Amino acid sequence: MASTLKYVRVPPNSANMEEARKRVFEFFKTACRSIPTIMDIYILDDVAKPSQLRSTVASEIRKNAHVTDPKVIDMLLIKATEELSNIVEHAKQRHHIIGQYVVGRQGLTQDLGIKDQGNSNFLNSFYSGNYF
Amino acid sequence: MGLGQLASRALLRSSRLTTATRTSHFLRTIVSTPELHNSEVAAAQSQPEPDLPKRNPVGGARIHFPNPDDAIEVFVDGYPVKIPKGMTVLQACEIAGVDIPRFCYHSRLSIAGNCRMCLVEVEKSPKPVASCAMPALPGMKIKTDTPIAKKAREGVMEFLLMNHPLDCPICDQGGECDLQDQSMAFGSDRGRFTEMKRSVVDKNLGPLVKTVMTRCIQCTRCVRFATEVAGVQDLGILGRGSGEEIGTYVERLMASELSGNVIDICPVGALTSKPFAFKARNWELKGTESVDVTDAVGSNIRIDSRGPEVMRILPRLNEDINEEWISDKTRFFYDGLKRQRLNDPMIRGADGRFKTVSWRDALAVVAEVMHQAKPEEIVGVAGKLSDAESMMALKDFLNKMGSNNIWCEGNGPNPNADFRSGYIMNTTIGGLENADVFLLVGTQPRVEAAMVNARIKKTVRATNATVGYIGPAADFNYDHQHLGTGPQTLIELAEGRHPFWSALSNAKNPVIIVGAGIFERKDKDAIFSTVVAIAKNANAVRPGWNGLNVLLLNAAQAAALDLGLVPESNGSVESAKFLYLMGADDVNVEKVPDDAFVVYQGHHGDRSVYRANVILPSSAFTEKEGTFANTEGCAQTTVPAVPTVGDARDDWKIIRALSEVAGAQLPYDTLSAIRSRIRTVAPNLLHTDEREPATFSTSSLRPEIKEKMDMAPFETAVKNFYMTDSVTRASKIMAQCSALLLKK
Repeated sequence: MASTLKYVRVPPNSANMEEARKRVFEFFKTACRSIPTIMDIYILDDVAKPSQLRSTVASEIRKNAHVTDPKVIDMLLIKATEELSNIVEHAKQRHHIIGQYVVGRQGLTQDLGIKDQGNSNFLNSFYSGNYF
Repeated sequence: MGLGQLASRALLRSSRLTTATRTSHFLRTIVSTPELHNSEVAAAQSQPEPDLPKRNPVGGARIHFPNPDDAIEVFVDGYPVKIPKGMTVLQACEIAGVDIPRFCYHSRLSIAGNCRMCLVEVEKSPKPVASCAMPALPGMKIKTDTPIAKKAREGVMEFLLMNHPLDCPICDQGGECDLQDQSMAFGSDRGRFTEMKRSVVDKNLGPLVKTVMTRCIQCTRCVRFATEVAGVQDLGILGRGSGEEIGTYVERLMASELSGNVIDICPVGALTSKPFAFKARNWELKGTESVDVTDAVGSNIRIDSRGPEVMRILPRLNEDINEEWISDKTRFFYDGLKRQRLNDPMIRGADGRFKTVSWRDALAVVAEVMHQAKPEEIVGVAGKLSDAESMMALKDFLNKMGSNNIWCEGNGPNPNADFRSGYIMNTTIGGLENADVFLLVGTQPRVEAAMVNARIKKTVRATNATVGYIGPAADFNYDHQHLGTGPQTLIELAEGRHPFWSALSNAKNPVIIVGAGIFERKDKDAIFSTVVAIAKNANAVRPGWNGLNVLLLNAAQAAALDLGLVPESNGSVESAKFLYLMGADDVNVEKVPDDAFVVYQGHHGDRSVYRANVILPSSAFTEKEGTFANTEGCAQTTVPAVPTVGDARDDWKIIRALSEVAGAQLPYDTLSAIRSRIRTVAPNLLHTDEREPATFSTSSLRPEIKEKMDMAPFETAVKNFYMTDSVTRASKIMAQCSALLLKK
């Protein structure tokens, strides 16, 4: 797997949105196919399921859903491919993957839900830190 | 010191002179600036000076004329200045806005006049005069900027540097060194010294002061400080000429509670701070102007920090409280702020071990247990280091929960908080200087409040005031009469039978100081009424003079009494089911029942933590903004210098959050809101940095006391000067001090 990804080349610019869109799907498929390897080399079995990682990849792609310029999409794809190959080549460490793709950007406090609804602003900011 | 300004002026002047005349460097001259050689010519050149802009006194100094007839006029560099009689030439120059370089002169010490750096030219005097020792005479024409004066300074500088090592890069004084600054400003630009430098064996002055005696320039400031301010005869000068050395005469440590101040007054790097040695340079430090909390004096301090770490503590000038000194405890306890810190909320599990939990869980547990206890079984104790805001919040919170059993450590079981004059120092610390007779009742000011003791020492030295002391045998650093050990002597004084009574009754401004250690006695009301009787007989309380004082022990005490932290019932710790300790470490935890739930909110893992069921970490005084009232009732605020440790929160915020979780929400969300709540209880706590005197005097308003005095002698309130609270007990330096310096 790793050897095939190593030689992934990003072809010249997409001519139109259609082509760019196709390339995005191709990238998503490549990413999904490498998920078992990733799970394996970073020992992610006890922290995440493959489906979770797949949806993380999808949401990372959807973050740029508003982009309409094929050139920009190509650029983002180049970056995404680079990131993917870095991950697959084990250029990262386990905590990078967990921090970035498993735990996500909202940090470890994911239980901000029904519990805090009745609280005042003071109490909520008290829980998050001393300086407010 | 404003020397930078002086330096730039000196540099400007010399560069102008250099361009004016140019003589050849053929000979190796004594003075490197050759123009200074023919002083007559240079003097003639610089003579016609047009009107310069008006000069202001150095450091905004103001003069006080005790008697307007005694004003004399002198001329400093041509400017007429009016000064009171008896001032020295140096002081006259300061008022005229000229900062004279000096090493040995210090405004709070006696005049030595041995460094010769302050030489100025006075018209009609054959030689330059040492301005620090020369009294100003009417019509004197002082010249501070003439070639003769400059040449004199340059010569003195050269002699001083002859035996001073050139180790500024490894010297802790580097960057704040008077010698460094002044040699830049007034020194020669080259040296002619080729011989060997003198070297001196370092002295061991104890765990606080590091000595590099080779750097010493024999200004004798430290010797004069030790004898005059600290009142110990430990330091002295040995030998003569080039063999002159500062040292302790025999091999011994400097056992004074003010010894750290010699570090500040040393103009070179001979005496530096041992704990601070090689830790930081002064230009990398951030200074925060704050207030000390280790005793009830509230010394003004500057906290020097680098990043999240307090690197050192220095005094800040406040004439009314600590002048420019601080005690060793204040100066060196800061390493305790790094040890034994509580950084996460913790709950004690079934196995007796603490487990780290989130704030959410900790507050939920505390609130639940609190609701299970009956209101009268809820007890709160504020610690020695609590600020007024958090004590206000704790009191409001417990009152909302239906309990009124709350007090502050050190105030005793039944404090008398009715009249403010009954628990503060009415004379004020600065006012002690006007006293002529002191009566110390059950207080050892040297260990209880070192800065107050320094003020008494100053008065005794200046006016030969008499000091009488009632209490256990104690160390004093001034002449005193030990009148007795217990209440028996008080009764004799009240009845006028004691020999000291004649001194007290004949005194113009008698001062009676009662120690707060008496608060812990059962018969304290009887003792206080006897003291009030003595004060009345001695006419110590009258319009214009209030000589009846209480000397408190802890930073929180005065504010706690102002806010009315008075327990409803005695012995409530024994019957408590829910005990809230806000930094209270001197509560007798043995007395707490086994089934009681103890919450400890504080910043150090000290005594009470061993009994606590829940720990709520809070911030120390260097990390929060808080109001503290000192023993004379002057409210001052601390300023956060460093960030909080770990997951700790400010004290009042914890109580505010807990109140919401417990369903008794306090109505304030901000510090200013909590202060407006304080305004309704004790408005004097909001007038920071100015002292609000007590309105009434208690002597006539107190109820009659019928109980009898217990004849047991008074006890020592502070057993170990260096370790009095949770921070100082965690400090390694304070532990070394108590091991080495305390008298066994």
